[in-house]
Parts: sequence; C-alpha cells; structure tokens
Amino acid sequence: MSNEHEHNESATAPTAATAATTVDLGTPQFLGEVEQAFVEKWHENATGCFSSGHKFCREVCPVTQVTRNENHTPTAFHANVIAMEKGHLTVEDVADDYVHCTQCGGCEVRCPNTLMVGDFYRARTETVKVVRAMRAMLVDKGLDREGWKVWNRLTNELKNEPVLGVEGDSPNAQAQVRDWAEGLDIPIGGDTIMFVDCEAAYYRTSVPRATAQILQAAGYEFGLMNEQWCCGGPAGEMGYVEQSMAFARHNVDDWRKSGVKRIIAIEPHDYVHFTEDYPAYFGEEFDFEVVQIIDLVAELIRDGRLKLTEPIDRVVTYHDPCRLNKRKGIHEAPREILRSIPGLTFKDVDRVTQWSYCSGGGGGLPIEKPEITAEISRRRLEKASELEVDTLVSACVWSERPLTAAGDEAGIEVKDIIELVAESAGIEIGGRTRA
Amino acid sequence: MSTISIEDEVIDRLNAILGEDGAVLTNKSSRFNRARVPAPFPVHRWEEFIPDIVVLPRTAEQVSQIVKLANEYKIPVVPRAGGTGLADGAVPMKGGIVVDIKRMDQIKEIDLVNNTVTVGPGINMQTLNRSLKKHGVIYPDDPASYACALVGGRIGTSGLSLLGARYGHTRDLVISFEIVTPTGEIIEVGEGGGRKVRKSSTGYHLKQLFMGHQGTLGIVTEATLELVPRAEAEFAAFFLFEDYETAYKTFALIAKSGLATLGGVMMFDPEKVDYLRRDDEAYIIQPDWVKAVCAASLFGTKIEVEVGAKKVMELGRSLGGRYIGDEIAAGDWAARHDRYANPLHGRDKDGKVVPMSWHCEDAAVPYSEVPEVLRKWHEIAKRYVDQYDIFDDWGAFQYTNGAHKPWADVLVEIDMGLWEDRMDEESWQAFVSLKREIAQVAIDHGGSMSSCHGATRAGDAELVPTEMGASWEVMKTIKRALDPNNIMNPGKQSLDEAYEEVTA
Repeated sequence: MSNEHEHNESATAPTAATAATTVDLGTPQFLGEVEQAFVEKWHENATGCFSSGHKFCREVCPVTQVTRNENHTPTAFHANVIAMEKGHLTVEDVADDYVHCTQCGGCEVRCPNTLMVGDFYRARTETVKVVRAMRAMLVDKGLDREGWKVWNRLTNELKNEPVLGVEGDSPNAQAQVRDWAEGLDIPIGGDTIMFVDCEAAYYRTSVPRATAQILQAAGYEFGLMNEQWCCGGPAGEMGYVEQSMAFARHNVDDWRKSGVKRIIAIEPHDYVHFTEDYPAYFGEEFDFEVVQIIDLVAELIRDGRLKLTEPIDRVVTYHDPCRLNKRKGIHEAPREILRSIPGLTFKDVDRVTQWSYCSGGGGGLPIEKPEITAEISRRRLEKASELEVDTLVSACVWSERPLTAAGDEAGIEVKDIIELVAESAGIEIGGRTRA
Repeated sequence: MSTISIEDEVIDRLNAILGEDGAVLTNKSSRFNRARVPAPFPVHRWEEFIPDIVVLPRTAEQVSQIVKLANEYKIPVVPRAGGTGLADGAVPMKGGIVVDIKRMDQIKEIDLVNNTVTVGPGINMQTLNRSLKKHGVIYPDDPASYACALVGGRIGTSGLSLLGARYGHTRDLVISFEIVTPTGEIIEVGEGGGRKVRKSSTGYHLKQLFMGHQGTLGIVTEATLELVPRAEAEFAAFFLFEDYETAYKTFALIAKSGLATLGGVMMFDPEKVDYLRRDDEAYIIQPDWVKAVCAASLFGTKIEVEVGAKKVMELGRSLGGRYIGDEIAAGDWAARHDRYANPLHGRDKDGKVVPMSWHCEDAAVPYSEVPEVLRKWHEIAKRYVDQYDIFDDWGAFQYTNGAHKPWADVLVEIDMGLWEDRMDEESWQAFVSLKREIAQVAIDHGGSMSSCHGATRAGDAELVPTEMGASWEVMKTIKRALDPNNIMNPGKQSLDEAYEEVTA
C-alpha cells in the first residue's frame, strides 16, 4: 500500500471532532522527502515489530527499566515509524523519544523475531540503526538536542571529544592527545597501531597505559597514530553523520600514510565503529584488520607470552560491556582472562542475564540525560552488591566513569579488566582512573 | 477519535497531583504509543483509539486523586500496565486519561515467614523472580508473555499461567490487592480481611469480583503475591502421535492421572503441527506421520518428580504415543512453540512469506467438547482465509485450564495470522466477524469465550451479555453502583448498556 494512497484515503475521511486542546490529531501530515525515504527504508523492519508487538525487549532495555515510559521503549521506536508512515506523527513529534537509548543492542538480541527464527530467515530486528537514522534526521532538521550540539561542535573544534568538560580550558585538545603515554616510549606508526579513544586518552589514562605496557611486556609491537582524532563513532551515534565520516576519513588517511595494516581497538565502542561504520563508509577501501584488545590479551595469556604472576586479592564480578556482549558477541575472552588472574575470586553472572545490564554510558545518553545514566549505573552496582564483591570489573572505559560514580556510593571499586591484568603482570601502571 | 474535550485546567490539576516533570504527557507520540496492544489493530483507524492525556503515577494516593478528578469532569480513565494483553483491555475506546502504572514497580516487602511478596502493579514477573531467586522462592505466574507482562495487567485480565495445574493462575496466586475504585476510594480486597490470608468466610469474596476487572472497576495499585518454594526438580516430555484422536485421549490420561506435581498438559492439533513445520528445514525434520503432539510437565521435589516422571512416560506411551527424547523434546518442539507468534511465519494463499500479526482466540471449554469446537473453528478459519487473502490459520493448541484441577475443562486457542499491513475497513470488519463466530462456538458448547485474554474487544464484547445470561443484569448493577459516571474504561464488554437503560 503506497503512502500516497494512505494519505488520500485519510484526507477524504475526516475523523470526529478534535479532542485535546493541545494538538490536532485528526489530520494526517504529508511526509517530506527525507522522512519518506526513512519510512520506506525501515518499513519492513518496523512492521516486524509493530505487527507482532511481543515487547520482550522492554524489561531488558536499560532506559525503559529506569524511566518506565513506553515512549522510550524499542517498540515505540518502531511504532513511531509506522505512525509517521500513516501521517500521524512527524520527526518533531518523536524527536525526544529517540534520545532515550544507549544503543546497547539488548532489545535486538532479545527480540523473538531475531531470537527464534532470525538465523533461519536471516532476519534481525534492527533498532540501533533506526535510532541512529532518526537522530541523523534530527540533525538535518535542526532538531538535535542542545547538549549534543555543543558536544559535537567542540569535538569538531578539538578533533577529540571534550571529555574533560564542555566549559573552560581543559587540557583536552590535540596537543595533549598523547600525554597519557608519557615515559612509555611508544613509536609512531608501524604495521599495528593502538587506537586510544578520547575517554581513555584524557580521562581514565590508566587504561591505555596498562594496555600499552601489557603489549610491551608481551613483546607485541605496536605504534600510535601520527595525528589521532576522535574515531567519529559518538558523532555517528548522535546523528552527526557527516562529522563522523570526516573524522573516519582523517583517521583512515593517517593509517594509510604510515602503512598501517592492523588497528587495535582498546575500547568496545571503537571496535563497533571500526568493524561496522568504517566499512560502511569506505567499502572495500577499508581493508584494515581490526583487533579487539580483549581477544588479543586473552590470546597473549593463553600463549604464555604474558605471564600473570602477582596475585590479585579481590572478589570481583564482571560487567559485560554492551558493545562487546550484546553487539559483538564477545563474552568468553574476558571471562577467560579473569579466570587466569591468580588470587582473584570471580563471581560470574552469565552473559544472557547481562543483556538487561548496562552502565548507561553509551549512545550519547550521559550528555543529554545524565540522570538516567546515573540511575542505570546505580542499579548495575546494586546487582554487584548482591554478590558481595569488592570490585566490579568492566572492559569498556566509557562505562567506567558512571559505574565508578555509582561504585563510590555502593562501596565497590570499579576496575578495567586490563588494569587488573597489568597489575597481575607486575606492571606499575601510572596514569589516573578519574579526573 | 475521542469526543472528550480536556481543559487546560484538568492538565494543570493533574500536574499538581503528580508533582513531577514528565509525568503528565499530552504530546502526540505519548498518546499514539498508548493506543494499542499486541493484538491485531485497525491501523487505518489508529487516531480513534488514542487517549487525550497519559499520566505516570507513582502512588495509590495519586491514582486516587486522578480518578476523583476524572469523576469531577466525567473524563474516561483507562489503566495501562505492560500493554501486552491480547484483548484490547488497555485500548482507550473513548479517549480520556490513560493511567500508565509502569512506574509503580517496587518490591515493597518480601515476607519469607508468611511466604508473600508485596509489589507495585508495574513490576514484571521475570524481573520479580530474579530478585526472589536468592531466597529460594518463586512467584509462579507464567504466561507466554512472562518476560514482558506486568502484575497489574495480570490482575486486570485474570490471566492464565502455563504452570496453573500445579501452582494456580493469577486469581489463585494473588492473595490480596489494593485497588482504587471508580470513584477514587483506595480499598484492599482479599479473601476476607487480612492482606496475607488465603481463605476466609467473612463478607463477600471481593477479590474475585475485582479480579479480571479489565480496567472497568478501578486501578490496582498494590498486590500481595504467593511465594512458592522453587521446584527442586522439573520434568517435561513430548509425545508424538499419528492422529489427533489418540493424542486427545492421551491428554486426558495424563490430566486425570492425579499427579500432584503436574504443571500442565498441552497439545498441538494437526493444523498447528503443519504450521510449526513451515520452516522445518531449519530444525530437526520430523517424520511425516507426526500429526499431533502432546506434552506434560512436572514440578516439585526431586522425590516426587522422579516417580511422577515414570508415570507420565507410561501414560504418554500407553496409547501409542512415541516419546522422542530429551534433546528433541526440549530443543525442538518447545522451541517450535516459542516461535508461535512470529510474523515471519505468515503465508499468503500462494505460500509466500508475508509479515503477519498474531491473533490468538482463546476459549475455555469442557474436555468433551474440544474436538467439535476445533473442527468448527478450523472450518470458520478456512472460510475467511479463502475469502480474504490477509488471514492465515496457524493451528490450535489446548492446555489444561483449571487451577490444581487439570482433569476437566481445557483452554483451547486458535492462532490466526493477520496481514495488518494490508488491512482496510472491510477486512477489519471481516476479522471482527471471524472473532465473533469463533467466540459463539465456544459459548454454544457450554464454554466461555475467553479463558485468559478477556472479552474486551470487538467481536467478543457484544457476546458478553449472551455468555453471562441472567447474571448479566447483576454485572450491570455492580458496574453502575461502583462506577456511577461510567468513567472506568468505558466501551468495554458491552458494559455501556448499564447506563443506557438508566437514561432511557
């Protein structure tokens, strides 16, 4: 059924008197070209959700768990597409709904359409992409949120994200992009480079320091970029597609210039961007090998190249970072690493249960809705507290800031898995874990 | 489209009651997203079902004040929990205020001495049970929507639990609850008095009056639930049959076995088996002779379940049923059933995959009537499938219906696919008429047109007076007495009749 037909039909069949004083619900709107393309692209995907309406995604959605507002559920993100198609809702009407998402992907793996027959029909309910596409429309139409606007303007100016604050003169520019590596004597360029994301480079510098020193200890050769910009991923997540592509272009050109063949992503968000967005942006031109640090470190330990000798006297549980577990299916390697650390008591929670866990740190949520991020993290720490652990271990530096804040309240320390590995390898990490 | 005009003053007063930003929603997106439930929906008439205002309360006191305000202005009020029901209970028929109770999702008290848990109505059962696990207890209300339905909605629909034969259904598992009446009073209803008492002879048994109220008698704001010891052992077995008749007889043998640990007995009819084999190549291919499936589950202590399992195996095979092994049983047929409502299983008349919406027509009928009811249902379904290329017969299944009494009446469900994307007014009316015919068959055979979803939507609602017979008058009297202004979920179950007579 074409949309045009739908519009004509609705237009000739006016409904009863207008209800609320606030808005006119009865008159369907015509869609502009951009919206038309959007609803056409996502029609089938949205229909799969709208028509079945299982809603199994809701209780795993970290945002829904907190706001308990049906507009913030994945089902609403798809129903809105149908409502737009029918001319009931405009981009403006639904703009705020799509701010409420961390892009964790929990809804997608829990969706019965994905879970039950997805493999057979090669069908997967795409919700993250819908959110991103909608946010891109918000940017196009100037409906983007104020916080995101400022964040991405500053990112564009600084060439890295303003993770140390959007106000004042924080040491958060290109001049400081390699400050974290002070004294580590890491070369520039080479076959393999370690890509250090903004949060790690400026905020939790212990993570890149631990990573670099582990690789050095294992004799694994790597370098840093000539001029490292933000990966561009967060811009893409918030809808600033052109900016995201420009940053990606810069980074790819920088790699090409140094003859780089392999990129180590030390952070799950970067890993998603390098394995999903970059190939989408550049097609076959993107022929780099992308390595996730967790996989690499697990391999180095397994092969005996990295010796973990120092006992770590902690009782820990592991936080499955959403982008590793729900988005990329990486959940075994971190557990393997934790089990190889001497002295550690590891109380595991399975990865499927963790589909409903999150830190709230992704998808730009902490920039626009810091209170929701904080509550998601508080609940995550509450789960950890029930296990009577002293440490929550994550493998995502972006999760570690909100989790640490919640951990301070809960009396539980938050560590990065690589920091623990480095300590167990007898490395003096240096750097800092918070601003 | 609602004909109610909501004044700004109402919105201001609601804001004052809720006292929180973002708790009174009047924007279009909030309202369009609370117009429907997962059941097939007349998408072409979406705007007729949207509320004027959505409120997200946190306390019973707030709910009470909202309802009192609604009475003052004669504005309809529709409670909404998960919005996962299959009978439109939460769909606003006349606009008004949707009271969305999802924020009332706290666990208020876990009483391990008296085996109760007291919760807000906005909590989900799976979420609740995750919190209860460490205590060795479970709240065993287990619908197909276990992962998304909320306690308030379960009470509103008087839902069925798949473990009902063993642990009871929602009506048995909810010990007592707090409800805001249609005039805004906050009352506690149980078996008698006492929030944690399971049996009483004092007064009327008001709990069951309000159980399954479908939003027409108030809004549940708190519930005290049964805590059952977690089963030490579970057992499930699937038996395959060459014909429906033998499976049907085996179903009764197991249901009447007297095993106290029996969680339920289930069966698929030949049409359901055909449907579940649609993508057989993705799973373990079953022999052609399989025409019906019967399965049973047991829950209890190890010592009971071990012995009971032997009995189930004996009965399941006694008439020629073939047990197909743990792996195939658990991994295949159970998984097949989990795909029951998948839009990708819809087929048009040429066998082409089309995304279809799931419609599930349920009824409770005496065991003796099941084969005849199913025969008639499939006949009706075929007529509609042939006439309109938007329907698809997805087969039927049956399930033991009575709480703790699995040996008699049966929940029968026929699943239909409906190509919502292609629906116009003519085919929507055809769907309503299909529903009505199916419901009438259940009534004609001494059954009830709904065992678990409720008779709240077009096609069923018109038949409520027929099914209720002479007691329909009592129902109307109660409704009128408790809800003098007909503000609670008007337009449902033909209850508007209660007011027409008064004004006539």
